[in-house]
Amino acid sequence: MKRGWIVASLVFLALFCATIWQSVSLPLLDELGPGPGFFPLWLAGIGAVLSLLLVIETARAPDPSPGEALIPASDALFRVASVVVMLAVGAALLDWLGWRLTALIVTAVLLPALGARSPIAIAAFVLAASFGVFHVFYYWLKVPLPIGTFGI
Amino acid sequence: METLDHLLAGFAAALSFQNLAFALAGCIFGTLVGVLPGVGPAAGTAILIPLTFNLDPAGAIIMLSAIYYGAMYGGTITSVLLNVPGEAASVITCIEGYQMARKGRGGAALGIAAIGSFIGGTVAVIALVVVAAPLAALALKFGPPEFFALMLFGLCLVTGLAGRSLIAGILMTVAGLLIAMIGIDPTRGAPRFTFGMPELYDGLGFIPVVMGLFGIGEILATAEKPYREIVRTNLRDVMPNAEEWKASMGAIWRGTGIGFFLGLIPGVGSIIPTFMSYILEKRISKHPEKFGTGLIEGVAGPETANNSYANAAMVPLLTLGIPSSPTIAVLMGAFIINGLTPGPFLFTEKPVLVWTIIASFFIGNVILLILNLPLVGLWAKILEVPYQYICVGTVLFCMIGAYSINSSVFDIWVMLGFGVIGYLLRKLDFPLAPAVLGLILGPQLEKSLRTSLEMSAGDFSIFFTRPITVVLLVLSALVLLVSALNLAPSQLREASED
Repeated sequence: MKRGWIVASLVFLALFCATIWQSVSLPLLDELGPGPGFFPLWLAGIGAVLSLLLVIETARAPDPSPGEALIPASDALFRVASVVVMLAVGAALLDWLGWRLTALIVTAVLLPALGARSPIAIAAFVLAASFGVFHVFYYWLKVPLPIGTFGI
Repeated sequence: METLDHLLAGFAAALSFQNLAFALAGCIFGTLVGVLPGVGPAAGTAILIPLTFNLDPAGAIIMLSAIYYGAMYGGTITSVLLNVPGEAASVITCIEGYQMARKGRGGAALGIAAIGSFIGGTVAVIALVVVAAPLAALALKFGPPEFFALMLFGLCLVTGLAGRSLIAGILMTVAGLLIAMIGIDPTRGAPRFTFGMPELYDGLGFIPVVMGLFGIGEILATAEKPYREIVRTNLRDVMPNAEEWKASMGAIWRGTGIGFFLGLIPGVGSIIPTFMSYILEKRISKHPEKFGTGLIEGVAGPETANNSYANAAMVPLLTLGIPSSPTIAVLMGAFIINGLTPGPFLFTEKPVLVWTIIASFFIGNVILLILNLPLVGLWAKILEVPYQYICVGTVLFCMIGAYSINSSVFDIWVMLGFGVIGYLLRKLDFPLAPAVLGLILGPQLEKSLRTSLEMSAGDFSIFFTRPITVVLLVLSALVLLVSALNLAPSQLREASED
C-alpha cells in the first residue's frame, strides 16, 4: 500500500501542477478584485505542496498495511473489471440503443459475469431491468429515459 | 409564538395525503438502500434523486430526507445480522449488535435501535424547532467574510478528523474545491478548466461525482468480496425484555444529547457521535469488561446518537447552508436541484416550505418506528437476495440517476470515472468525505472569499478585524493543530469517514 500512496500522491502532484499552469492563463486580478484564476491558483499551489509533503511523509513512514495488494486477485479483478466495462458499454450505447436495449445487454452480460447461474432468474431480471424499469420511470415517474434509433 | 404558528402550518402541509405518501415511500426506499450491501446513505440518497424529479420541492425534500433517515436505520440491520455496517455510522453497532444476534437477541437489538432512533430523532427535531429560527436570524447578520470563515471551519473539522493522515485530508479537501472550480466562473462569467467542452460549462455535476465516489466505488469494492454469511437469529421478538429496557433507557437519553450537540457542529461526521456514545457507555458501565459480548446499551446508545445526529445535522444545513456530511451534502444538492438555496434566507423567503420539511421530520421518525418494528424480518430477507442481482440493480439505478439529471450520457462517464477513482482511493484509505464537502462548498467558499476581498479592496485584514471571523479562523487553526499534533483520539480519526 505504501507504493500505492506514493503513486497516488504523485498523480495528485501532476494534476495540481497542470491546474497551476491552467490557472496562470486566467486573469488573477482585475479592477474589481480577485479574478477567475486567483482561487484555483492558490488551491493548486497548496495542493502541490501537500502532495510533495505526502510523498515524503509516506516514503519515511513504515508501511501501515504491508502485503496488502492494491490490485485484487484474478477472480475478484474480473468481477470489478466486468462492472467497469459494462458500465462503459452502457454509457456508449445508451443514446444510440435507448434504455431498454442497453439495459438488456448490460444486465444479460453482467449477471453471468458476476456469477449468477439461474437462467430463469437472469431472464426475469433482465426483462424487469430493461422493459420494466423503463415503464416505471418513463410512464409513471415521468423521468425521460432515452429511446434509441430503433424506436425501442 | 411565530415559530409555533409556522410549525403548525408546516404540520398541516406535511400531513397532507401526498406528503405523507412521500415520507412513507422515502422511509421504505431509504431502509431498502441502507440494507443493501455496498450502498451507503450518500450514494443511496443520490441514486434515488430521480424519483423526486416530478415532485414539488417540498415533496421532493420530504422524500429525500426520509430516504436519508431510512438509510441510516437500514445500515443497522446489516450491522446486526451480517456484522457488516451498511453505512459508516453503524460501524460501532456491529460490536454489540452482532454478538446479540449470535446469542439469539438480534430482534431485540434491532428493536431497541428502532426505538432509540425514534426517541433520539424526535427529541432532536424538537430541539431543531427551538434553535433553528434564532440561529437563522443570527446567520442573517453574517456577511461574506463570516460565511467564508464558517465554511472554512466546517472543512477544517472534516479534514482534521478524516483518516490517518492530516495531509491527505487537506489534500482531498483541496481536490474537491478544485473540482468545483470547473465551469463558468460565478462572478466574472469566464470559463475555467473546460478545455472547450460545452458539457463542462456548467461544471461537473455534484450528483454524478458523489454517485461515482460513493455508489460505484462501493459497488466495485463489494464486487471484490461479495459473499457474506447472515447470522440466524430470533427476529420475531423485537421488543427488549425488562432487563434490557432498564439497561437501555439511560443510554438512549445520553445518546440523544451526544448526537444532537455534535450534529450542530458543521463538519462532524455521523460516526463520531456513535463512537462517543459507545465510549461513554463503556466508561460509566459497572461491568465494562462485558462490552464486546453483546450488551444492549452498546446498541441503544450509539443508534440513538446516530439518529439524533442525523436530525440535528439539518440545523447547520437549514440555517447556515453548511452540510455536515456527504449525505447531507447530497441533500443540499437536492435542494439546489429544486431551486432552493439552504441557508438563513430560506426561513424568510420560503417559511412554509422550511417548516413543512421540519414537520415532516417528526412524521418521518414516527413512520420509521411503525415501519421497522414489524418489518424487521422482511428487511432481513432482502439480505438473502444474491449479491449479483443487488449489484447489477444498483449499477442500473446509478446509470438512471446520473443520466436523468441533465438527460446526458456525459454524466454517466463522469460517474464512471469518479467511481474508479473512488474505488482506488478507498482501497488506499484516502478520506473521501473532505473531497465531497469541498466539492459542494467550493463555489460558495470562492464567492464569499472574492466578495470579501472586493469589499476590502484586496486587503486580507478584513478576515482579522471582524470578531466572528476571528473566532472561527482561530477555531479552524486549532482543529488542524490538534489533528497535526495527533491529539484527537486515534479511533475517531480512523473511523470518521462518513
